[in-house]
Amino acid sequence: MRSALERHVTLLLSILVSPERAVVLTLDEWDLAVRAARGARLLGVIRARLDHARLLGSIPAEVRAQLDGAWSAAAYRRQMVLREMWAVANVLEPLGIPLVALKGAAYIAQGLRCADGRLPEDLDLMVPRNRLDEAERALVDAGWASEKTDPYDQRYYRAWSHELPPMRFAGHPIELDVHHAILPPLGRVRPDARALFESAVPIPGSRFRALSPADQVLHACAHLFQDSDCAGRLRDLVDIDALLREHSAAPGFWTALLARARLHRLGRSLWYALRYGRAWLNTFAPEGVAAEVARLRPPALSRAAMDGLVPRALLPQSPDEEPTFGTRLARFALFFRSMWLRMPPWLLAYHSIAKLVRSARRQPRAEVA
Amino acid sequence: MNVGDLQLGEMLTTLAGRGLGLDVGAARARVRTDLPSLAATLQSVYRYFPVEEGEGFFDVTATVRHARGLRRFVRPQIEFVVDGEVPFEPFPAATDLPLLEWGLNWCLAERCNTYLLLHAGVVERAGAAVILPALPGSGKSTLTAALTVSGFRLLSDEFGVVRLDDGLCLPMLRPVALKNASIEVIARLRPDANLGPTFPGTRKGDVAHLGPDAESVAQRHEPAMARLIVFPRYEAGAATALEPVPRGRAFAKLAVNSFNYELLGPAGFEAVGRLIARCDCYRLSYGDLAEAMATIKGLLNAP
Repeated sequence: MRSALERHVTLLLSILVSPERAVVLTLDEWDLAVRAARGARLLGVIRARLDHARLLGSIPAEVRAQLDGAWSAAAYRRQMVLREMWAVANVLEPLGIPLVALKGAAYIAQGLRCADGRLPEDLDLMVPRNRLDEAERALVDAGWASEKTDPYDQRYYRAWSHELPPMRFAGHPIELDVHHAILPPLGRVRPDARALFESAVPIPGSRFRALSPADQVLHACAHLFQDSDCAGRLRDLVDIDALLREHSAAPGFWTALLARARLHRLGRSLWYALRYGRAWLNTFAPEGVAAEVARLRPPALSRAAMDGLVPRALLPQSPDEEPTFGTRLARFALFFRSMWLRMPPWLLAYHSIAKLVRSARRQPRAEVA
Repeated sequence: MNVGDLQLGEMLTTLAGRGLGLDVGAARARVRTDLPSLAATLQSVYRYFPVEEGEGFFDVTATVRHARGLRRFVRPQIEFVVDGEVPFEPFPAATDLPLLEWGLNWCLAERCNTYLLLHAGVVERAGAAVILPALPGSGKSTLTAALTVSGFRLLSDEFGVVRLDDGLCLPMLRPVALKNASIEVIARLRPDANLGPTFPGTRKGDVAHLGPDAESVAQRHEPAMARLIVFPRYEAGAATALEPVPRGRAFAKLAVNSFNYELLGPAGFEAVGRLIARCDCYRLSYGDLAEAMATIKGLLNAP
């Protein structure tokens, strides 16, 4: 793994890991750190960490204003996620469909510390596969509509994805992703969806359940290292680190985590998360489990490849410089890896050709006013 | 030293290096570009702003540059870059200042969430701020510009920046973007007005920018208390008509037209409520700019 980190990365990581170091930053350093944090969607998280450390009073006023603004935006999205959960539960709960909140929505509903200042993008919900059609019909009847209108995209989601095409209720700022699994059904790794449902835990005061603490961590690891290209996804690693710190307090957590990793075949994803988490965020695994964690280790070739690619792709880009050729190459390689893990070769070939044909008729980005 | 006093070469060096810092009152922006034409127009419309090297902390750091790829040579385009990202489709190369101003507005609207941000022009006279909320076709910019070249201080053409703790309006001082016929109207009203070049055929038609005057720039850190909210409505040939707007209705119109009312939650509700309680609210239909200005001055008891 490359050891020398760029200055904006060093600054951002040091504030995340040791908020007390933030009080001595110069305004120039703050400028770089805030820009990097905004790009990584971590500005609100930084604000929350400074707040927990009772350091907000020592932050220069102009910096504070940007931190507070990001925090307000995150608090607003958080409120909107709760509203969306309320609206969705009103539709699906009367049908007796089991509802499991995933990722950010669960962190918010559970009141986890890692939800503070975190900017949730959408509402991720999981229902059993045999109730999926019923859930979709009910949501559509109640006013949610699919955002992907392209017939190919519709078909792709329905046939090969672990979620329905994203839906939105007109006027709501939060998109709804209804899952029936946490990874694609034809992918290399297929976590045990039934086990996920069976061990889901109630969320006090909510009509949703959350994945068990171990499954919740593993889902975050799978999402980052099995189902994404890692590009600019430092925030996902920050989530995993925060979840581990929060759940570690419960007795037996690490034993359960390692057992579930084997059950879901997510040992490698967990291993990568622990490796990069330890390198950049001081992610902590207790001494007693070191030998068991080591057994999850991927082969040397995979490790070497990931060590070459992940730091370039996952850590935030410099706000002032263009991505280098090496970075773009790393991103492409990890993008290809994510597609490779997501679907069998025949589907990958079919999907690539279909996308290529469509990109020739690419629609421009949204016109500005 | 002010931006207008720099040699064009110095201006370009600053813009192409760390960037030119622009303290616009409620926010600080840092602008970078290697386009000589943009350097020249920036120098003209921001001429009274003090020169700040791009050191320290900025709310926005924005670059306008040539779009990459072969388009550099065929119908060249320019793009707006903020913190390494390109949030919009490129613009034709000739419309550099409109792209920069539009992009800066977008960033400021996204980021300045410690204030209530109304979509409104704000001017001030004798300590009383007038808020002119923008509804499509309202003629807000024309009226703001006309008042500005007629003795009012300009706080902002785009953002009514309201401080949440004391309800005071802060300047977000930037050039006023005038469209189509308004350009000629302001040029005739005040031939020596600091009007930048006209950019024909942008997405909003012809656009020209009225640079803030020296006094408005000097007072860009002076807040003002709002006394009057006027919802303008321009209609060619219409008679001047002023009618009071009930406070509840004014609240709704102001809130709907805000950039971050929803995001601020209860704080936004309180801020709009306090603002409305303190101001007289009117709808002003006009076809004649001089009459509209006289009406607003009358409401303020100003000469």
